[in-house]
Amino acid sequence: MGLEEFRDDMTTCCRCSACKFVPLETLKGYDHVNICPSISRFDYRAFSGGGRLGIGVALLDKQLDYSSPKLREIIYNCQMCGACDVSCKYAMDMEVLEPMNAIRSEMVKHGNAPPALDKMITSLKNGGPMLLEGNAGQGEWASKLGVKDYTKQSVQVIYHAGCRTRHDKTRWAVAQQTVKLMQKANIDVGIAMDEPCCGGRAYQMGYQTEAADKARSNMESINKLGAKTLVTGCAECYFAFKVLYDKFGVKGDFEVLHTSEFFNRLVQQGKLKPTKKVNLTVTYHDPCHLGRQGEPYIHWKGQRVPGQLIIFDPPKEFRRGTKGVYEPPRELLQSIPGLKLVEMDRHKEFAWCCGSGGGVIETNPEYALWTATERINEAASTKAEAVVTGCPGCESLFETAIRKNNKNLKVYDIVEILAMATL
Amino acid sequence: MTLNKEQYTAFEDIVGPEYISSDPAILFSYSWRSGLYAPPQDFSPLFEAIILPHTNEEIQAIVKLSNKFKLQFKASSTGWGPYNDATAPGCVKLDLRRMNRIIEINVKNMYAVVEPGVIGTQLQAECMKLGLNCNQNGAGTNCSASPIVGHCGFGHLSQSGSYGERNQLALEWITPEGELVCFGSLGSTGAWFCGDGPGPSLRGAVRGNVVPMGGLGVFTKAATKLYHWPGPTSVELEGVSPSYVPTSIDNHFLIRIYSFPDMEMMDQAQRKIGEAEIAYELMGFNKGMAASNIATSNEEMLKLHAEFSNLLTDFCLMVIIGGYSARDFEYKTKVLNQIAIDTQGKSLTKISDDPEVAAGCMWRWLRPTASIREVFRATGCFAGEVGGTDVFRLMADYIVETAKVKQKMINDKLIFDDGAPPFTQSIEHGHYGHGELLIRYIPNPSNWAGMMDFMAKANEIAIKQHFGVPGHVFSDMQHDIYGPHVMNYHKWLRKIKKSFDPNGASEGSHHITVKE
Repeated sequence: MGLEEFRDDMTTCCRCSACKFVPLETLKGYDHVNICPSISRFDYRAFSGGGRLGIGVALLDKQLDYSSPKLREIIYNCQMCGACDVSCKYAMDMEVLEPMNAIRSEMVKHGNAPPALDKMITSLKNGGPMLLEGNAGQGEWASKLGVKDYTKQSVQVIYHAGCRTRHDKTRWAVAQQTVKLMQKANIDVGIAMDEPCCGGRAYQMGYQTEAADKARSNMESINKLGAKTLVTGCAECYFAFKVLYDKFGVKGDFEVLHTSEFFNRLVQQGKLKPTKKVNLTVTYHDPCHLGRQGEPYIHWKGQRVPGQLIIFDPPKEFRRGTKGVYEPPRELLQSIPGLKLVEMDRHKEFAWCCGSGGGVIETNPEYALWTATERINEAASTKAEAVVTGCPGCESLFETAIRKNNKNLKVYDIVEILAMATL
Repeated sequence: MTLNKEQYTAFEDIVGPEYISSDPAILFSYSWRSGLYAPPQDFSPLFEAIILPHTNEEIQAIVKLSNKFKLQFKASSTGWGPYNDATAPGCVKLDLRRMNRIIEINVKNMYAVVEPGVIGTQLQAECMKLGLNCNQNGAGTNCSASPIVGHCGFGHLSQSGSYGERNQLALEWITPEGELVCFGSLGSTGAWFCGDGPGPSLRGAVRGNVVPMGGLGVFTKAATKLYHWPGPTSVELEGVSPSYVPTSIDNHFLIRIYSFPDMEMMDQAQRKIGEAEIAYELMGFNKGMAASNIATSNEEMLKLHAEFSNLLTDFCLMVIIGGYSARDFEYKTKVLNQIAIDTQGKSLTKISDDPEVAAGCMWRWLRPTASIREVFRATGCFAGEVGGTDVFRLMADYIVETAKVKQKMINDKLIFDDGAPPFTQSIEHGHYGHGELLIRYIPNPSNWAGMMDFMAKANEIAIKQHFGVPGHVFSDMQHDIYGPHVMNYHKWLRKIKKSFDPNGASEGSHHITVKE
């Protein structure tokens, strides 16, 4: 959607600053009041959700020019984590993240996206991954697992490992454990030796056309396979397959589940039994694209009813982050014998972002690290021994932040914890 | 005009290159108009630069440079209302968000000292850990916790927690010429306990009828009174935004919305509740406010409003009782019930009989977080801030009169039709009163013209019917309207401005300027 379609949303901003803070009912002390990494780091109002909406109006009115370097700095020093959207919609009926996506799309159209993203997008357009480092062999991670290749054999469950996992040898263990756990539960699972990139990150970076093209080509091939379920351990892939593809109108005829949802079901059904004690105190980090942005897409086409009240015909149900994936990972962790789960101040729909999203890890790694360090410090304040999450992007950046800050925390993917108790 | 290189560099030398910008993309984000009294224009005039100081020394240097360069400056904390904006070229903005420390919470003497960037939620959450609470601006706990930067500071807690003018103790102030002044007790003993001495007291001079709205220097620290809190040290919640339900507010709390047959009965109830000093919160709360607060969308709000219209009269109030012990709670509850009987107050069962709704409302109004829902969700814009602070009934009668003008705007389809019941509140257990109207509108030219007409009529009512000077009276134009009727106070206010700000450097369009 073009930016003009969000004019009414942007002009509804009353400048209250809610987008900067956690939903204020939830705050229990001075600390951790902030929800937006961008304004927390850069301070100027322009770096908040509301500030960006004001800029959006100025762009529409041609009072600002898309070619401005400062504009690029403002628009792209944001993880697109969607926290501003949740906090705003606690009170308001308006979109925040959607117009911000539209501004990025316009930046791309006007040729003012950060050059640091060019190679990734070129790779995507050429059928390659969006992660350029590593590139350690497509299906090599699964070579000893005896798992089906779903492009050659029919399967009930597709396991989509994701670029960040396949291209980083240090993440292979998580993918391998995922398959082993499925095999233990007698799941008919398959992987692709030549797994396609989901393209979801391109959307966050403003390359909407490229992301939509990728979605269509992926679904053309995956839909033919007849699988009942697609499982991924990457929050961004989850968001792409579950939410974004639906938004693009190419929703598959299969269920999309995150590993935490899938394995939680298996545990609840008694098909997996975590029996070994895992004596750890952990805190769970909600990945933005699994939590608040992971709630199902809601199709709506209509218009604002003229008059002195913001209502819509037909009525519009806003995505407020309420229905994200929050409980399955927590239930799964609580099913692990010996494990103690403690919550960070900012959790579920108002979790602080890990820092890597929206292309920030590529365009401003210092800022990405700053954001992750904030989260690691928050995790440490819970006295947990480890941070558990469900996204390789979060895990990788947390590990860097811990190393650079000499913290004693460990980082685990939720699958690793389940594997410790089950395999 | 734009800052020349010498000017920009001079400011940059004070705060460093990271904390000053005159890039249009930054400037436009600050000139996006507030939803409060939003005009049809999307943007206010651009500031020349945005500066983010971190210390008093930096602010003093910026202020002195502004005087030297014949520029104006305007400081703001959370920057919500239109009074934070530039009104003409030639003004630099001091965004104080980096000055965000709670300096002290003094339990024994029951005050806190804050910098302007601390928001109400933060201070309240810290106070509650210590069995204390602080007043909150009715606009919400997203506003600054400082008692001198958030307009008048009336709010949900004002029955037991008073409001800005009464809560303000000692201040640290950088004058419009850059002098650092510590006043009240801070000016002599170095402590924060009193705004009126034993050191120099400038409380009345710097506050005026309302705070100076950025027009009289920069307030860098302020002490505010604290009050007892009968609830838990923190409140545990269940649910996910936008629907939270507290699980840990103990059974020494009670919330009610009462509907009365007429204004007289509601007035009596408010007086009696005040005299008995039983309410932790007491606020006029009409059906439009209740529906907007409870609903999580405009669609739901419409349904609730229709439902409440069948259940409530135009004369309603919200009351929260908080007991410091079981016996205290029992006593207060009995008194409240008796007052309700005596004044024919009928409780809205949707609130009182549903524990989840009751707990949700209670927490949203103890930590006022739903004001944005109430006043801005419907249209994005609000303009009902017309009441003042005076004898409770006087303010109530003023709002009843102005409500008639609101009804005309509804009839003319210039604003959202939520009825026109007056909203009144008693402050400090009835010592004072305040009133407002819930006016929500889409900011197009015809609605805005109607709004200006409404404000003119609200002024006319206040003056001709002797209701005093309402809280919305700021700016040269308004002071010049009211001054001649109130002992020419505007001349004195202007003299104060001139004395402290001979160069007119502190941008005073929303306060008063030095023009004659």
